[in-house]
Amino acid sequence: MTDPFEDLLEPVVPVDPDPRFAASLRVLLEAALVRPMSGGAMPATAVQGDVVYASVWSPDAARAAAFYRSVLGWRISADGRRVEGLGQHLGLWSDARRTTYLSHSVSDIDAAISRVRAAGGTAGDAVEQPYGLSAECVDNQGLPFSLHLSSPASPPSAFAQGEIVYLTMHVRDSSTARAFYGSVFGWTFTPGSVSDGWQVQGPGTMFGLHGGHSEARVLPMYAVSDISSAVARVRAAGGTATDPVQMPYGITSDCVDDQGVQFYLGQL
Amino acid sequence: MNQPSGVRPDPGLTLLDLYERALPQVYGYLLARCGQRPVAEDLTTEVFLAAMDSCRRGKVTEVSTSWLIGVARHKLVDHWRRAERERRGLRVLGGLAHAAEDPWDERLDALLAREVLASLSAPHRSALTLRYLDGLPVPEVARCLDRTVHATEALLVRARGAFRAHYQSREEGTR
Repeated sequence: MTDPFEDLLEPVVPVDPDPRFAASLRVLLEAALVRPMSGGAMPATAVQGDVVYASVWSPDAARAAAFYRSVLGWRISADGRRVEGLGQHLGLWSDARRTTYLSHSVSDIDAAISRVRAAGGTAGDAVEQPYGLSAECVDNQGLPFSLHLSSPASPPSAFAQGEIVYLTMHVRDSSTARAFYGSVFGWTFTPGSVSDGWQVQGPGTMFGLHGGHSEARVLPMYAVSDISSAVARVRAAGGTATDPVQMPYGITSDCVDDQGVQFYLGQL
Repeated sequence: MNQPSGVRPDPGLTLLDLYERALPQVYGYLLARCGQRPVAEDLTTEVFLAAMDSCRRGKVTEVSTSWLIGVARHKLVDHWRRAERERRGLRVLGGLAHAAEDPWDERLDALLAREVLASLSAPHRSALTLRYLDGLPVPEVARCLDRTVHATEALLVRARGAFRAHYQSREEGTR
């Protein structure tokens, strides 16, 4: 008598998965191949890339200074480049790209420069600046950023009005962006609540990544103490702001400044 | 060309070279057993990333498709364990009478068998899948499940009993 359970035998039949899945898994594997090993040759501070400086890039930095001064109460240095009196280092710069330029801390800048280049980005050599050793880079999505030799920043427990509480990176292709930031800084990504949205683990600042955009850019969320009046100030200053919405972490509004730079307000 | 003696190619690179050929095998194996595309994709990702990790830690002696299928078996068993932990409390599994011998002469309906397997507890589903769908000998099943051979034999007896009870009640339900 045969055992009926033997009918269950099911030899492996190859099935081609969705080519997009196959391609994105290959990118992950390639990134895993070059990523520094935890507990291996890399020092214990393997995860890098805390945001130590952020700068608003808009076509006219002086105009941006006036806008953010009236909306967020930023006090701006005489040269118009730096925001003063906050716990974070924030700045302003004239550039038509309308994004937020980030500087990331690393403990070994030459090794980080090599990882940027190996991961498909570009990186200049490390240059001694008044504020420390830095290297100008562009990621594999076309976003400019810099590496900065410094120790990791300790994440703040509370935010003053006008400080950045969350950063969202919009990219064209999230799988190649994840591979890049995974291999350069050791960041990891968990799926978020929206399609192709990812929570980033690694940087001290809360950080999200969202794929499927026509152009890469970084959008900051600024802390405000009273979102209704902040929304009114955005509109009065020539920007646009959606009506505030209650999210699990706070009340937020999607905004665009008077030069077309996107940002969020958050009352947490 | 022969490698100089003592020099082996980086296993991580070997895995990347193997990727295009092995992917449909691993994915096909998992899809046929878990039945859902998103789950099969997640598990396939886990398999290859775990494999890359093992390669880079120098833990692998032979990078091959059959090794990857072995990794996939572990991931599948882990997945069912996790899924069951999530469902625990929602479902009470009836303890089945121990049947030492279970002569049961019937040809199984493949679709119904699949449904019944999916309705079993994680240990039962894992044991039956490895033993009968994959055709592994009992000691291999034991290794995959991290159990002794003796405990695995007992588990298989209970799993067969559970399968049979579910199968027969479903068959009656469709008549």
